Amino acid sequence: MADVVVVAGPALTIPVRRHRMTGSELAKRVALYVVLVVGAALMVFPFVWTIITSISPEASLTVSPSLIPTDPSLSGYAELFANTPFAVVVANSLGLAVVTTVIQLFTGSTAAYAFSRLQFRGRTVVFGIYLATMMIPLQVLIVPLFSELKVFGLLDSYVGVLLPSLASAFGIFLLRQAINQVPRELDEAATLDGAGHFRIFWTIILPNIRPALATLVVFAFMGSWNNFLWPLIVLSSPQLQTLPIALANLQGQYTTQWDVVMAGSVISILPMLALYIFAQKYIIQGVASSGIK
Amino acid sequence: MQHKKWMAAAAVAAAGALALAGCSSSAPPKASAPVTITYTNFISAGGNEANLTTIVKAFEKANPNITVKVDTVPYTNYDTKLQTDLAAGTASDVFDIDGVGNYLNYQANGQLAQITGADASLYSAALLDSYQTGDKQYGLPTSFSAVILYYNKALFDAAGVSYPSSSWTWSDEMAAAKKISDPAKGVFGLYQPVTYNEFYKVLVQNGGSFLNQAGTKVAFNNAKGVAAANWLVQKSGTVMPTVAQGQGTPNDDTNLFLAGKLGMDITGTWEIGAFAKAVSPWDIAVEPGNTKQASATFSNAVGIAVTSKHKDAAEKWAEYLSSSKEEVNVRISKGWELPTIANKTQLAQYLKEGAPDNRQAVFDAAKSIAQSPVLGSNGNQIQDIMTNELVEAQAGRSTVAQALAAAASQINALLGQ
Repeated sequence: MADVVVVAGPALTIPVRRHRMTGSELAKRVALYVVLVVGAALMVFPFVWTIITSISPEASLTVSPSLIPTDPSLSGYAELFANTPFAVVVANSLGLAVVTTVIQLFTGSTAAYAFSRLQFRGRTVVFGIYLATMMIPLQVLIVPLFSELKVFGLLDSYVGVLLPSLASAFGIFLLRQAINQVPRELDEAATLDGAGHFRIFWTIILPNIRPALATLVVFAFMGSWNNFLWPLIVLSSPQLQTLPIALANLQGQYTTQWDVVMAGSVISILPMLALYIFAQKYIIQGVASSGIK
Repeated sequence: MQHKKWMAAAAVAAAGALALAGCSSSAPPKASAPVTITYTNFISAGGNEANLTTIVKAFEKANPNITVKVDTVPYTNYDTKLQTDLAAGTASDVFDIDGVGNYLNYQANGQLAQITGADASLYSAALLDSYQTGDKQYGLPTSFSAVILYYNKALFDAAGVSYPSSSWTWSDEMAAAKKISDPAKGVFGLYQPVTYNEFYKVLVQNGGSFLNQAGTKVAFNNAKGVAAANWLVQKSGTVMPTVAQGQGTPNDDTNLFLAGKLGMDITGTWEIGAFAKAVSPWDIAVEPGNTKQASATFSNAVGIAVTSKHKDAAEKWAEYLSSSKEEVNVRISKGWELPTIANKTQLAQYLKEGAPDNRQAVFDAAKSIAQSPVLGSNGNQIQDIMTNELVEAQAGRSTVAQALAAAASQINALLGQ
């Protein structure tokens, strides 16, 4: 026994390439992975259920969903496209989301630049009022907003849908915080080189706040993509209908074909998923390239 | 750019003013002038869009001067959209009304125009009367559904029980349910939801009533109410699945019935189409009562907005949509909800549509209706309270008497407002 101890002694002092885990470390690691796996399963399960329901023609929402579809079929998808103008609806929603996102990026970044870099009277007060608008839920404003659009003759039009979301207080807040992080020394150096506000904004500020811009893209796109109440109220022509409304329309007064509803839901998830994967890459890139601190 | 927009807005406002001025001063447009009317609906949402289009096309063919612009709104959000439109004065000329309860609200708020030109003889009198206020018609019923008893013939045969008949009462129903139930095989005898909607109906079946005559207080906190509530809450775990087994989740009963594992299901006529795929032969019967027979019915209607500028055309469309031959044909042949007409010859077509054999039960159910109580503006809250207290009693967390007493005091407080 003693020999073993002597031999083992110096061996421990030699730096080892591979760190050998002790029992308690291993236990911790196993526990961590168990928690992560359980967490991931909980998060992924609703999506798996959605997909399985979408390919189960006699689908239901019982308490114990079967993870193996007994009789898989794409009839839900076929019915979706046969009975509703689903392709048109997806195109409508995509168009609205892209336009909303582009406009919000423009209004958000320029307003944030002004709130961060320009000195003017009442700057904090105006910014405070802007932030306060985030606290008022849309539901409260629906009827007055609707009446306003009626006077402008913009009901049942995309301009009417877009108008209230041209600028988002949250977006301005998010980008202002990001711009505040960009050192003013950069602006000053650019000013000395003869750059004006627009040049500074375009070549100094924007490249340095890419992560925040990517975040705003995801939020603005998602906000428009999922927007339900306002388009429901404003739009009435079937050819202008957006995706969330078309999805809700799949449910009847008394009965609902869940496979068709879930087929629509699966399709509605795809663009968001694609955008997220795309934006995630930029977020990491943005973080890596924001050089000076 | 900005300037142009404001000019456009001003022009729109001016045009609106002109249009208003035109309406108030000149005579109504001639009958031959083409008009476009708008119709907001939820009845076609969820699978009947094409059926509604068929009716619209037929109407436009018969009335070449009238174009109907249809807006289909999801059922669950219909009221939100309609209320906004009514508040802003932009409601469609014709719009759907989800049952008598909503009709009473819209009518009381002065949002419905009186309908004067419709031929009352075309409609089932009971349904037409539901949409009258003070002898004046403010809505036309478009469809109705009844709650009936669906039964699986194979399970009845296997248990050696005779099929339900119109003379059945609760005790016959329960005796059959017990014989059919076989928990080991996952077979249940009788499925009836434990909800407010079932409770007000079984109260009437037991000679009781949800509200007193004046409609000011509840009338179920007594022996008749206890017996009715007991009838609902006793099934779970014996002849019906427990909550843990899925009772109360969407489609739980219909899936059991489709799979041939449910002897009797109490649900609406809207399942007739879906049950065509059931694995076992089945039929329908009028739902048995206790001291008297009473069934629940649901109806939809259309109304004409007081703000409509084309009331004549709107009325024509409302009448066509609720009683024309084409509408009746589409509804019956496509298995949509039942039409509200009185004409027996036309309705006879429904009886010949094939399985189930006893389609007459649907009309028999409509002969003795358990009227839905008029709950006023707190209706949704009252329904939730009633359902929750019944579920508490079913779970054994309170006795039936305690649950009814608790529901009564909460609901009485809400009725007074």
